[in-house]
Order: sequence, then C-alpha cells, then structure tokens
Amino acid sequence: MDKFHKNSLTFWAFLAPVLFAFLMVVVIPFFVGAFYSLTDWNATARAGNSLNFVGLKNFTDSFRDPSFIYSFLFTTIYTVLNVIVINVVAIAVALAVTSKLRFRNVYRMGFFIPYLIGGLILGYLWQFIFNNAIPSIGEHIAALRALADPNNLVLSKIPTAMMALVIVGSWQYAGYIMMIYVAAIEGVPQELYEAARIDGAGSWMQFRSITVPMIAQAFTITMFLTMVNSFKQFDVNYSLTAGGPATMFMDKSIFGTELLAMNIYNTAFVGNDLAAGQARAVVFFVVIVVFSLVQVTYNKRKEMEM
Amino acid sequence: MKKIVAFALAMLMVAGMAFASGAQEGAGSITLMQNKPEIDAMLQEYGAQWSEDTGIGITIKSVGGSSGTTLGQQLRADYAAGEMPDIFIIAGIEDYREWEGVILDLSDEEWVDDTSVAFTVDGRVYGFPVAVEGWGMAYNSDILERAGVDPADLTNLEAYREAFATIDGMKDELGLDSVVSMAASADMGWVTAHHNFNSLLANGLPYGDLSVVNDLKAGNVDQDRLSQYADWVELLFDYADPAILTTGNYDAQVGAFATQKAAFLHQGNWVDPNMESAGATFPMAFAPHGSLERDTNGIFVSAPSFYVINSESDNIEAAKQFLRDMVYTQAGQNFMVNEAGMIPAFGNIDMNPAGQLSRSVQQWAAEGNVYSWDQYQFSGEFRDQVLAPIYNRFATGQIDKQEFIDLMTQAFVDNAE
Repeated sequence: MDKFHKNSLTFWAFLAPVLFAFLMVVVIPFFVGAFYSLTDWNATARAGNSLNFVGLKNFTDSFRDPSFIYSFLFTTIYTVLNVIVINVVAIAVALAVTSKLRFRNVYRMGFFIPYLIGGLILGYLWQFIFNNAIPSIGEHIAALRALADPNNLVLSKIPTAMMALVIVGSWQYAGYIMMIYVAAIEGVPQELYEAARIDGAGSWMQFRSITVPMIAQAFTITMFLTMVNSFKQFDVNYSLTAGGPATMFMDKSIFGTELLAMNIYNTAFVGNDLAAGQARAVVFFVVIVVFSLVQVTYNKRKEMEM
Repeated sequence: MKKIVAFALAMLMVAGMAFASGAQEGAGSITLMQNKPEIDAMLQEYGAQWSEDTGIGITIKSVGGSSGTTLGQQLRADYAAGEMPDIFIIAGIEDYREWEGVILDLSDEEWVDDTSVAFTVDGRVYGFPVAVEGWGMAYNSDILERAGVDPADLTNLEAYREAFATIDGMKDELGLDSVVSMAASADMGWVTAHHNFNSLLANGLPYGDLSVVNDLKAGNVDQDRLSQYADWVELLFDYADPAILTTGNYDAQVGAFATQKAAFLHQGNWVDPNMESAGATFPMAFAPHGSLERDTNGIFVSAPSFYVINSESDNIEAAKQFLRDMVYTQAGQNFMVNEAGMIPAFGNIDMNPAGQLSRSVQQWAAEGNVYSWDQYQFSGEFRDQVLAPIYNRFATGQIDKQEFIDLMTQAFVDNAE
C-alpha cells in the first residue's frame, strides 16, 4: 500500500464513527422529518403506516395560526434584543478581564460559570428570584416598596417577562461569548496600542480604531452564535415563563411569551399534531439558515472593509 | 490489512451498540409504564416482591413529574420503536381514542365487579382504576372556626361570597395573606382549565351525566350556567393572593395553605404528601365548589388514571394477573393503601389512607356525594392552548367577567366547528 492510500484509510477510519453518527441523528432524521411535514402524521401513526400525503396543508395552516405568527414576531424581537445585550455585555466584561484588573482570572471563571448550568435549572432559579426574592427585597426596604406590589411582578407582564428572558439568556450566554472576545483581544499586537498612545489616542479612540477592527473576525462568530442561539431558545423559556402571561392576538387568546421552539414543541406534543409541528420546524430551519447566511455575508464584508 | 480488520471491528461495535437496546425481552416478563414518579420506589419494591412470588419478571418504568417528558410522549416514542409496554396508563377518553387500537377489553376480569370507577366505553371495561382521587375546596378547619364559618354551609355561590367576605375582613386577626390559594399562571393551566373548568361541566349533575358536555361540544352554550360559573371564577380570583395567582407555581400555591397563610386551597387530595412534608397538622377537609347559585353538595371524585393492557402484548395473561393480584392479595392491597398512600378504588379493600384530605375524599365518596370528572371529554390541546390563556387573562386583569364569558362562549363555538 502506498503512503497516500494508507493516509486516506486512516482518515476515513477516524472520520467514520462521526460520519455515521451525523448521518443517523442529523441527516436522515432531517429528510424523514421534511417528508413527514407533508403528511398527516399524528401521534399514534407508526412510521410508514396509515400516513396520508396532504401536500402543503400543514404549512398553510401554520401561517393561519395566530399563535405561530405571534411567536414568530416575538422570537424576532427577542433575538434582536438578546444579540445586542449579550454582545454588549460580553465585550464589556472581555475588556475588563483583559485589562490590568486584579483577580481578572477569577472574574473570567466567574463570568463563564453560568454557561455550565443547564437552561432548565437556570429558568427555575431565576423564576424564584423574580417571583420571591425581588418582592421580598421590597418588603424589607421601605424605599423599594414598589417591588413588593404584585402588579410589578416581573413575570406578570409581557414586556417585563421578555426582559426577564433576555436577562437570563444573557446571564447564561455572555460568559461564553466573552471567552471568544478575550481570545481575539489577546491576539491584538501590543505595539499598535503603544504607537497609538504615543500619538496621543485616548482609550475610546484605541478601542474604536484598533481593537474593533482587529477583532472583526470574532464579531462574525459571536453574532452568528448569539443569533442562532437566541432563535433556538427553549429551555429557559419553558422553565422561566412557560409561555405566560397570556395575551390577545388576531382575536384569539394565546400565550404571550412563547418562543418559536416552544410553539413547535406545544404543537407537536401538547396538541399531538406531530406533522404540523414538523412543518413548523422546517419553516424554523429555513428562517435560521436565511438569517445566518445574510448575517455571515454581511459581517464578512464588514471584516474586509475594516 | 490489519487496519481494515480493525476498522471493520470498530464499525461492528458501533452497530452492535445501536441495536443492543432494541433486543426483545424474554417471554414471561412484563413491562409496566406509569406516570407517578412519587410512588415509583414503592411500586418497584412491590413489583420485585410480586416477581419473586409468581416467577414472572416485571420491569417498571415511571415517566413524568419534573423531568419534562410526559407519559404520552414516551408512549408515542416507544410505540413508534415497537417497544410498547404491556401495561400502560391512560387518563381518560382522549387517551383511549389515541390508543384504541391496542387496548385490550377487560370486561371479564374478576375485579370489574368490585369497583364502580373502572374505565368503560359503550358498556365494555377497558381500564383498571389506579386509585380514587378527588378535589373540592380544601379548607383549614381551625381558621374557619375562628372566623365563625361553618363549612357545612358552603354549598353554593352565595354562601361562598359571604364566607370569603367574612374571612377577608378578619385577615389580620387570622394571620392570613389571602382567603383562597389559587393559581392561574401559564404552567398552572391544569388548575384552571382542567380542574376548575370541570365545575362548569359536572357540578350539580348526576354522576356521569354528559348533558352539559355534549351541549358545549355542539357549540350550544348555556349562558345562565356559564355566567354563574364566571361569578365563581371571579370570586376565587378576587380573593386570591395576586402574586400567587398570576405568577405562582405549585409550591407557592400549596405552600400558602400549608403555612396557614390562606384559609382555602383549590387543589385535590394529592397535596397530602406536601402537607406532611411541610409539617401541616391542622385539621383540614374538602368543601364542595360553589359554582352555582343552587346547592351542590358534593366534590369531584373519580379515578384519574387507569392501567390498560396492550392487546399486541405477548404476555397478556401475566399482565392480567399483575392487575388481579393488586386487588386480591394482601401485599397488593398493602402497596396501594399503605405504601403508595392511595385511596383504593375497590370495595373489597377496607384500609384507609393516612392523609387527612384523602380521608375526606373517601368520606364524600362513601356518602355518595360525588360529581364526575368530565374535563377529559375535551382535548388536552383545547384545554391547555385555548382555555388556559383565557383564564390567565382573566386572572391578570386583562379582561373582565363579561369578556371572559364572551371568550369562553366563542371558544366553545369555534371548537364545535
């Protein structure tokens, strides 16, 4: 056996297990799922048995369902807010922990730890903070009495409940994004800053004209990660608000903080309509792909300009 | 060459792992899937004992609780995978319709004559009642006595109006935060759109009478009954602690009653273990729901879930024996009543559970003052996705009583189409 073949055999042998897993749990289910979205598959229909082809009915029905359209809009707003908040927070703490701060390594670890906690647990934890801890602060401190008023409960109104989702989402994810920024910031050559300082540039000027252009690649990655992650948010949503409080949309009472992933879950597993849930998942997939392609192309072009 | 062999072996191992879990279990062994994680340990122990006595293997799987997956989801996954358990749980007619094709007719079983709450469809028996449960308005007898309210009078809307107003006026003396502990947040939809909703469907009707259900399903809404019901819902919401009502979870709701911060609790006898762990020893019992102006002297009692046997199982006789032994052996009875703390659904068993509220349910049932559970006549989707948001909006003050009535009416009309 010549060297080339030997190498390629090793290559495939190492790749095969991953490829096998990828095929079995991603590629095949994806196409099977896309197929099911065109059928009337329900909870008890066994694969290949008692399935009827219904064309695009699941898709047209979904776009007529107020709860789906609402969760689409809600998810978009949530994503925009979440991407902004996470990145602003992440870059701020990244700058802090790369400066000459004492104990910066301890801070780095501290900021990263929330990322290691599961979203479900985080949701219940913060639910306790919003429902019990904050009102109890209001009960004990006269100046903050308003916090104890049940009308001011964070999770009882849609705008504040959305804020709560953003806060918890950022608290969990900003530490991870911070790590990416830290790596990028540490890769910026110190000479540039020295030269800038000699030329009399202040910290803001240095940040604006050196740090930002030099870490442009990191922006592409962090924007992509935060956007996709916000779009797919499920566990925090499920445990923190469970979709509440309710609201009215297109003449129907629906849950007011239901993100897309949870809407799909509820359609499939609470409503027992697996095919419709699958159709929504396909729409969800297409939207994520389109948004990410647009974002990555845009950021790449920006990178070039900088 | 060696590498190719090694590679082939590696692939074989991967494939082996993938298929190992799909292996069939030997004959003479049954699988049971149930949805009460809180009795899992006791059931495992009883199953092991039963297995030793009979020589039939048994595997018990418990799904549900806080793990997120419900029994229905697990069953669907197992059914699709061809690993349907031999005995599983259905909650009512909707579940029955879903699994109709694989549920065995149990009409000829011995235990059928010893229970009045077996699951039947068109006169045929399909489900073995796991236990009897019930709910009404749980009350703290001490607080009611100090407020001068006689729980025996609480049988209609007006009586509740007076009692709530009286207790509300004495909140400071009684050390209460609110009169009634009620929850209506998004994840407590089962309290409003399942349990409370049943007052509209079944309160004051003969046991098993589906006249109101059938009218509502046909889109014919009795406005008089609905508006009395709306008065009842409004009364409960008005006298509840707004924090618990709008954002509280199960622990917050039950905790307020257990710590004597609320005089009434809108829950069922399943809170007994919570009361015990919270150290709540004050006397408590159930009063009827006051959803109608006329007297309705009974609480809602039924079997919440039923064991059914998979008709495609290879071990039907063993599965039947397991259910039979639970009713007619000392060990089975002991498991149901003493270990699992359930109210037995069978007349031949004369043990009493330890919990106060469970005993209250048993007493109401013994007197025959019971109303049925009809909420399962409506689909889970209708209750959770259509009705629950309406209750939530009423509770958070987004809509008033008239809008609540209109939206409920509209929901029934839309559902009938």
